[in-house]
Amino acid sequence: MLDGSHHAYSADSAFTFEGNWQDFARIALPNLLLTIVTLGIYRFWATARERRYLWSRTRFVDEHLEWAGTGMELFAGFVIVLVLFGVPYFGVSFVSQALIARGYEALGSALGVAALLSIFYLGGVARFRALRYRLSRTRWRGIRGGSDSKGFAFGLSYMWKTAVGWLPLGLLLPWSMTSLWNERWSKMSFGPFAFRSDGEAGGVFARFLLFYLAPFVLFVGGVIMAGMGMLAGYGIGGENGVALGGLVGLIGLVLFFYLGLGLIAVAFYAKFYREMVGATRWRDLRFSFEASTLDWVKLLLGDALLVVFTLGIGLVFLSYRHWKFFMTHLEASGEILLDELTQSRTRTAGHGEGLLDAFDMGAI
Amino acid sequence: MRSTWARSEPMDTSFQLAAEWYDGRSALRHAGELHWDGHAGLVLHAPTAHAEFAVDDLQFADTRPRQIIYRRKSQPDFRLILPADMPPGLAARLPRPSTYGRWIDRLGLGRAAAIFAVTSAAAVALFLTAPAWLGPRIPAGWERQIGDALIGDFGGRICHTPAGDAALAKLLAKVDPADNAQDKVRAGIANMDMANAVALPGGQVLLFDGLVQQAESPEELAGVLGHEVGHVRERHVMTALLRQFGMSILLAGADSGVTNGVFGLAAMGYSRDAEREADEYARARMAESAISPLGAADFFARMADERSDSEDGPAVLGWLASHPSAGERAQAYRAAARTAPAYPPVLSDAEFAALKSMCADDPDVAEFDFF
Repeated sequence: MLDGSHHAYSADSAFTFEGNWQDFARIALPNLLLTIVTLGIYRFWATARERRYLWSRTRFVDEHLEWAGTGMELFAGFVIVLVLFGVPYFGVSFVSQALIARGYEALGSALGVAALLSIFYLGGVARFRALRYRLSRTRWRGIRGGSDSKGFAFGLSYMWKTAVGWLPLGLLLPWSMTSLWNERWSKMSFGPFAFRSDGEAGGVFARFLLFYLAPFVLFVGGVIMAGMGMLAGYGIGGENGVALGGLVGLIGLVLFFYLGLGLIAVAFYAKFYREMVGATRWRDLRFSFEASTLDWVKLLLGDALLVVFTLGIGLVFLSYRHWKFFMTHLEASGEILLDELTQSRTRTAGHGEGLLDAFDMGAI
Repeated sequence: MRSTWARSEPMDTSFQLAAEWYDGRSALRHAGELHWDGHAGLVLHAPTAHAEFAVDDLQFADTRPRQIIYRRKSQPDFRLILPADMPPGLAARLPRPSTYGRWIDRLGLGRAAAIFAVTSAAAVALFLTAPAWLGPRIPAGWERQIGDALIGDFGGRICHTPAGDAALAKLLAKVDPADNAQDKVRAGIANMDMANAVALPGGQVLLFDGLVQQAESPEELAGVLGHEVGHVRERHVMTALLRQFGMSILLAGADSGVTNGVFGLAAMGYSRDAEREADEYARARMAESAISPLGAADFFARMADERSDSEDGPAVLGWLASHPSAGERAQAYRAAARTAPAYPPVLSDAEFAALKSMCADDPDVAEFDFF
């Protein structure tokens, strides 16, 4: 493999995670301490340290990944967003309130709405740029990824596609989500080659319909439960028993409703990621993501239990758990020609994912 | 696949060791030897590639189990992978691996954490106390400009009639002795059915019509007006504004932007000490102008009844509430009253009536709606 001219594989998993939580704790716990004593400023450096660990313990085929991003550039990104967007936003809301106070309610409200719309737009740009930033700082065999687009066009797509997705009672959301995924990934590249993605909404639409059926199913089930509770209560304690039984049934219904809805959301996202990762390609590589709904439920339940039983300290381990989950279930198959995998020529931004950081979102 | 130097021959000199590298132009891996001349020069040699550069060209990039990765300043994409257990002489020449970041590595984790903690505590203390000492030092002219920018003319919601304006001006002159017109507090009655009064940034005081309707004597209004003027004169408004500004920075993420503004200003609180200072100010001006404090005492007594906290109520509650308890305040006003000579009425009955009917009689005033 040293000449690296041609490489094919199939037996083992292409992505392997070799980290362990004890090593990660030696990074995450001092990070927590430093973040607290610096009033949160250290979190940018903490993020970079965590990623350096997670990436360097992740092997793709025969070489480890490298995270080449720095804490300073994340901090710079945050400051840029604060100055470029935070200050104008503050100014606009100030002017908008001053207008309302003077009796120009319509103008003031319009200005407020414009500020909210621009946040919506920047949210789309931020999603794009976060992915671009992560790819541009991820190195494998010295090669990095990136994008030639700055994401401003994607911000517009994000706005109108999301709006159209919600309009017919949310029925087109699977379309807007898949379409935005395709659009975003198709503008990304690694080395000289672009990613391609052609996922279709049809694949996830059936799962999405669960959201619409669920309330009815749950409601009917809940009414039956409440009725049975009342009957049982009547059997035990007459009139008072009915009230008590009905109440127990009602509490059951509410719990059932929220848990049921959460479960449907997990089932939808599990299917969505399987579909979309499966529809994403790079050169001759095909990807797949094999996490079932049950895997996701286990991950999220584990997260919740970890955080609760460590009184919140477990929060610092969630990034580890999620990365490991992601890498365990991610697969790739195909061929890489190492001598044609040359360095990316995309421009890189000198600052981090400040925009996304400001809106508090994840990259994928 | 196994790492390359695991298979290489035992090293015969301390100046040569197995190395792997990527040139940053393609993904091809080069495996060979690193030769160090003992000074500043490094040579990488492999069957597939050859490179020469200075030790100073290397920068630390990353650590892996038993490996350290360097990049080159002159070629940022270049990656040199060396075993972590390299000869000590070479290790001393190479850039040190970074753990926490440059400052913290230099200080050590414990010392850095202690220094940061002390600095942060000082910053928090400064931030929390800043409104109290910074507020009174901000020039009144600036405050007026901020106030005008925030409130303007209140959207025409302030009631005006010639007789009412005259009565209000007379009342104000007695509790606000400032001579020149520019420094004078601007008072108005807002067309809003709430028993409340506010001091706004820029020396603007508003009595709400609800409060005026509730007042049983002009002395009550003089007491409330004097109290709000006290907030302006003691510079409490700027302090409260700065405090609210600080809070809005802290809560920047949670704040939707619609909630603050005028209504936030109206709701912004003063400290208990500030309320006491404003009360003391009001009593001093009323004493100077020979206004009976019994009206204000009645007002607070009525407030005390409404809130069902009495003069004998537990002192702890009064201490916890942001305002001093109404009962306590009623008592303080009553104690300030002199026994003789009797106080002249602050306004004539006609003037008091003009204040009461001001909002009903103003045809141009705007309704105070929240939207």
